Amino acid sequence: MSTNDNLTGTPISRRRLLQGSALMGAAAFLAACGTKGTANTPSPSAAATVAASTGGSTAPSEAAVASASVAPTATPVPTPAPSDAPGAINWANWTYYIDVDPKDQKKHPTLDAFTKSTGLQVKYQEVIDDNETFFGTIQPQLQGGQDTGWDIITMTDWMAARLIRLGWVQSFNAANMPNFTANLLDTYKGVGWDPDGSHHAPWQSGMTGIGFDPAKTGNVTSLAAYFTPDPRWKGKTELLSEMRDTIGLTMLYLGLDPTQPTRDGCDKAVAALQKAKADGIIRGIKGNSYAEDLKAGDAVLVMAWSGDMVQVLVDKPGIKFNIATEGGILWTDNSMIPNGAKHKNGAEKLIDWYYIPENAALVEDYVNYICPVKGADVALKKIDPSVASNPLIFPPASTTARLHIFGALSEADETYFNQQFAKVLGVG
Amino acid sequence: MGTFLKRHHWVTPLALLTPGILWLLVFYLWPALQMFIASFWHGTLETGFVFSLDNWTNYPDAVGQFAPFYLRSVVYAAAATMTTFLIAYPLAYTIAFKGGRFKNLMLFLVVAPFFTSFLLRTISWKIILGDVGPIIGPLKGIGVLPQDFHILATPMAVIAGITYNFLPFMTLPVYVALEKVDVRLVEAAKDLYAGPWRPGGLIAGGILGGALMGVLGLVFGVDWAVFAVIGAAFGGFVGWFLVSESFIRVTFPLSLSGVFAGGLLTFIPAIGDYINAELLGNPSTNMIGNVIQNKFLTQNDYPTASALSFAMMAGVLVVVAIYAKVLGTEELSAAAARA
Repeated sequence: MSTNDNLTGTPISRRRLLQGSALMGAAAFLAACGTKGTANTPSPSAAATVAASTGGSTAPSEAAVASASVAPTATPVPTPAPSDAPGAINWANWTYYIDVDPKDQKKHPTLDAFTKSTGLQVKYQEVIDDNETFFGTIQPQLQGGQDTGWDIITMTDWMAARLIRLGWVQSFNAANMPNFTANLLDTYKGVGWDPDGSHHAPWQSGMTGIGFDPAKTGNVTSLAAYFTPDPRWKGKTELLSEMRDTIGLTMLYLGLDPTQPTRDGCDKAVAALQKAKADGIIRGIKGNSYAEDLKAGDAVLVMAWSGDMVQVLVDKPGIKFNIATEGGILWTDNSMIPNGAKHKNGAEKLIDWYYIPENAALVEDYVNYICPVKGADVALKKIDPSVASNPLIFPPASTTARLHIFGALSEADETYFNQQFAKVLGVG
Repeated sequence: MGTFLKRHHWVTPLALLTPGILWLLVFYLWPALQMFIASFWHGTLETGFVFSLDNWTNYPDAVGQFAPFYLRSVVYAAAATMTTFLIAYPLAYTIAFKGGRFKNLMLFLVVAPFFTSFLLRTISWKIILGDVGPIIGPLKGIGVLPQDFHILATPMAVIAGITYNFLPFMTLPVYVALEKVDVRLVEAAKDLYAGPWRPGGLIAGGILGGALMGVLGLVFGVDWAVFAVIGAAFGGFVGWFLVSESFIRVTFPLSLSGVFAGGLLTFIPAIGDYINAELLGNPSTNMIGNVIQNKFLTQNDYPTASALSFAMMAGVLVVVAIYAKVLGTEELSAAAARA
């Protein structure tokens, strides 16, 4: 208990900081309101793969390894084209997730350097603000075996797991990716949903822990706080609408293992959460907007994402973020190449580009999350030592030891978990 | 050309209708048809979905499971429509009859919020109504309100949000209807001794105000008796001082078409709204729209989500049909005017 590191003591260096989280939330809602569609005209892709979904069930591991060959009819397996189609590499990513030129917000220095180095053009687009909404825009094409228009998509672990399970993303050609092979941190290797790591490359990670206003709550170090009707935070506590974060932390509180999620564990977690709601502790279950509520004082105790906390600190320096003694959740957004991508080779080279520590360091100097690249901290120390020593961005080993990655779920289990969690959300 | 059009009477209306019909076909009927088909699917994203008419049971299953959410949506939408009416009618009346040279400015102010996004307007309410925000904060500071008092994350916040967001949809039709009222009719009524309506107005206003506010209080989940007393007092005051017999017998009946239209324009979108519940409510104030969103996007349960959406559309159609039958514009206002 004594070694509970407060992770938010460090000053923040120069960086473009998100002040308008509310607007971000608004954008997410707008996107959620819209109908499904994609900016890219889907065109039948000649070279690539046939989506697995229509063919019926394939074992997840099979689907993961051989996304190109799961079509039931025995067409010859199409090998990746030696050269890509003409045109730029299309990369779909989240907002504020790559370095920008301080003089020109539209320019990304590391991307320009990539183009200069390889001669390949990149069309980088910040079109993802929600896993599920973005999935909705690519799902019809992938299901129909068509090109989504994207060569790289960046999705959170569980969505990556779903795409791999469905056989909708391609395996990497290791020959194009020496830096990825050499510099991916060991923590990220051997995940259950992609054991050999051939289908996904971690882009950024974040931690889910306890965010609180110590002036109102005192120091909070235990997840038990969310389940204790203490007048200091009763009715002013917010949970996350991401199922894996809220269920995961609740499992840790109950002494269950979120890396091995079971239906029984889910039921217990849901029961605990329902009790916390019935006790009047929980004010709401939110996405990004919890950060606004914490700043406004509508909430004093929240489940929080580390990157958001870096931003909240700018507006309200008193806020604290702890990884609980029981543990925290580590999640990752991953680069993947969807089926039908027209520039697979270029995409692989581009993903690999960011596993060069110096490039990763430039990105890290701008974004607020955790870097999966070996040596990036060393490289960053040379250009911006204060960021390299921010424990929210490069957490110390005592913190990372307490982090857990939520385990993979089969489709049936995922449905079950979501249905149960819908009760907690108040929509089931 | 002229003779051609004269000989073929159907060409002009058809040409004029074509863009609208095409628009509806592509952007309404086609997606609606897709959704209708999806509501008869069975399966999962991974195994694929199979269509079969045997899956009609999706409907009773979905509606049965989520009936409380439909009910809550109807109650919230009805309460919001009622509060919208109570606010919008005096507003529209003032603009139409007392606006003078400020009429256009006032109308502009009514629609001015539309220059900002729906979401930003709703989010700004979070700031205004915040627990330590500009309204509640000071009241707590001087001890008028208890420390744990809050409006956000309550049904009242959701209904208030809907009311605010749909206010122009009620105000404008009512204004249009009132604007058309021939002032000479009102003057004639006054000449025929339809003057102030003091005791009747007091009693009618008191009962009406008390009943309305009492029901709203029940819906909001606050002390309904207090609400009813406040409503009765306010209604009685309005009835005593402001309501004249000429208003009851002439102006109000002639404006009913606007009230009817405003009611529809408010109630129908309000019932499907999920943004206000999402932003201003808590986990126990979710409406059917929130359920459908979760089913579509989070659970990928397209059949259930489609069935829920279609059932809602059908339900709204039935409600509207009944509403039109009961409050059918022309006949009703004509009958009321005759009485």
